[in-house]
Amino acid sequence: MTALAAAARPYLAFARTSFLNILAYRARYFVGVLTYFFNATVWYYIWRALFHEKGEGATLGGFTFPQMLTYVATGWALRSFYFNEVDRDIASQVREGRLAMTLVKPVDVQAMTLSQALGESAFRLVLFTLPIGLLLVVVYPVLPPASPAALALYLLSGLLSALLVGAINFCVGLVAIRTTSILGVLRAKYLVLEVLSGLLVPVAFFPEPVRKVLVWLPFLHMNDTPGRIWLGLATGADAARALGLQAAWVVALLLLGRLLWKATARRIEVQGG
Amino acid sequence: MSDPAVRVRDLVKTFEVTKKAPGLSGALKGLFRAERGTLTAVDRVSFELVRGEMVGYIGPNGAGKSTTIKMLTGILTPTSGEVSCLGFVPWRERRAYARSIGVVFGQRTQLWWDIAVVESFQLLREIYGVSGADYERRMKVFDDLLEIGRLLSQPVRKLSLGERMRCDLAASLLHEPPLLFLDEPTIGLDVVAKANVRAFLKEANRRLSTTVILTTHDLDDIEELCERVVLIDHGQVLWDGSLRGLRDEHLPEARIRFDLPQPPPGDPQDLVIGPWTAGRLSPGRYLLAVDKREASSADVIREIVRGLPVLDLAVSEPDIEEVVSRIYRENAALRKPDAPPPSEGAAPGFVSHRGVRRG
Repeated sequence: MTALAAAARPYLAFARTSFLNILAYRARYFVGVLTYFFNATVWYYIWRALFHEKGEGATLGGFTFPQMLTYVATGWALRSFYFNEVDRDIASQVREGRLAMTLVKPVDVQAMTLSQALGESAFRLVLFTLPIGLLLVVVYPVLPPASPAALALYLLSGLLSALLVGAINFCVGLVAIRTTSILGVLRAKYLVLEVLSGLLVPVAFFPEPVRKVLVWLPFLHMNDTPGRIWLGLATGADAARALGLQAAWVVALLLLGRLLWKATARRIEVQGG
Repeated sequence: MSDPAVRVRDLVKTFEVTKKAPGLSGALKGLFRAERGTLTAVDRVSFELVRGEMVGYIGPNGAGKSTTIKMLTGILTPTSGEVSCLGFVPWRERRAYARSIGVVFGQRTQLWWDIAVVESFQLLREIYGVSGADYERRMKVFDDLLEIGRLLSQPVRKLSLGERMRCDLAASLLHEPPLLFLDEPTIGLDVVAKANVRAFLKEANRRLSTTVILTTHDLDDIEELCERVVLIDHGQVLWDGSLRGLRDEHLPEARIRFDLPQPPPGDPQDLVIGPWTAGRLSPGRYLLAVDKREASSADVIREIVRGLPVLDLAVSEPDIEEVVSRIYRENAALRKPDAPPPSEGAAPGFVSHRGVRRG
């Protein structure tokens, strides 16, 4: 146990340093709070118009209007927490040869990268997610979590989302290096993730065949899973199964990241980056 | 003598490169079949370093210095050859080996750009598991020698280049590694900053017996810090030995400059003095270069003052920059396939690019 704690210390330090590093740019984040609020607001009005059409008490894809609003609000609040740019970071470090400074240190590159992502998320939680959440709850009629247990599971699921996004981004960054346009790949990724995670449109709205495929992919665990847990649409065994799948995806993508890193490291070692 | 700290044997690194034909047609051709070639960056390099030794690794741009350092620090895997640093094979045991080395790349920093320097030191402390007591003690030493104390609370982006380099040097020695790699540690620094850095390196080397490999373009660094230089060009070692030996071997020249009260009649371009000829620098001022293998400067001076009313006289040696640049030029000429081989007379002490002379 002490050996594990000793091994973890450098990575806690990486998370802390990353936290401080972002603090240096805090001005940029105050604007970000408003951006997220506007995003949620836009979706609020779109859904309100759609529900209005259907009349009082209508449901769309099994969601009532307050449920839909809450799905959107918890989704954007969560995104403000799990967002990171690990992909761009690792790709530019490799491209520009800056990774050399890391390679001469006794650290695991993937663990370091994820620690930095989590440090960033810790910062975002305080300066981003909490103010945004508060603002949304005050301004819009967001539903409270379905139960105390739902809240606890939502928080757990949100943490897993952050790990999931970190793991995905590490892989995406390493794949992007192989292409001529890193930014192009990353832009495509944002589009795919925002659609497939349920951030823009709840997964329940997708056609049946698409949903059948989506359950076998990791993306809906970024937003849809925590959102459904908050609303009480997944409880008990359902919730446990969803969380289990989410955790399994985290592990699987971390392993994939390790494999990709091994291949990348070999290329750097042979070609010098 | 103990085991060498660093042993490099027949180290070779080649890179795959795509050759691109010029112009549009070349670009189109390249789309279908790229012509592949190999570039040999490091070509059978061998040397050994004893513990505590400080060696200058020099060569012109593109000579293979950085490639060698990258292999010795474990970032790059060689094409062939053997390396053993502190008993490790660097690229095979990268993370374990990394605990025992310090690395400074002058052009890059290991410090976080936007946060206070001290935060980077705290991070390094955790990475290397330096105890609190050791940390305090070493930081005190760094402050004494490099005066970094007042810099610690500032973000790196606000530091001058010299300040940043002092912090980077301290950072690379925080875990007191037995082996230190310095790649251009004085690049872009002013005279005072250079002197600080050199004094610090000397002290670290003396106090901790740190083995140091230093690559630089600044030969003053080498003259002041290193007993020994390894000179490479086109990936091959041209010289491994003392700096003085390098000079004696390649440009064993003494230069005697003397002034006469007034220009001799006719203000001639050349003055013949015994078997030697002095060239005119300006009216009344002459320079005589003598091959030290043929005569001592004392003999030449005696001959000059015997026949001429000399007012003032100074003896100098070619500075090391000149010696090294001559070696680079000679090596470049030799490598041109259609160039005639330089004659022994024109290039005294020429080093064959196959064999290495040791001095």
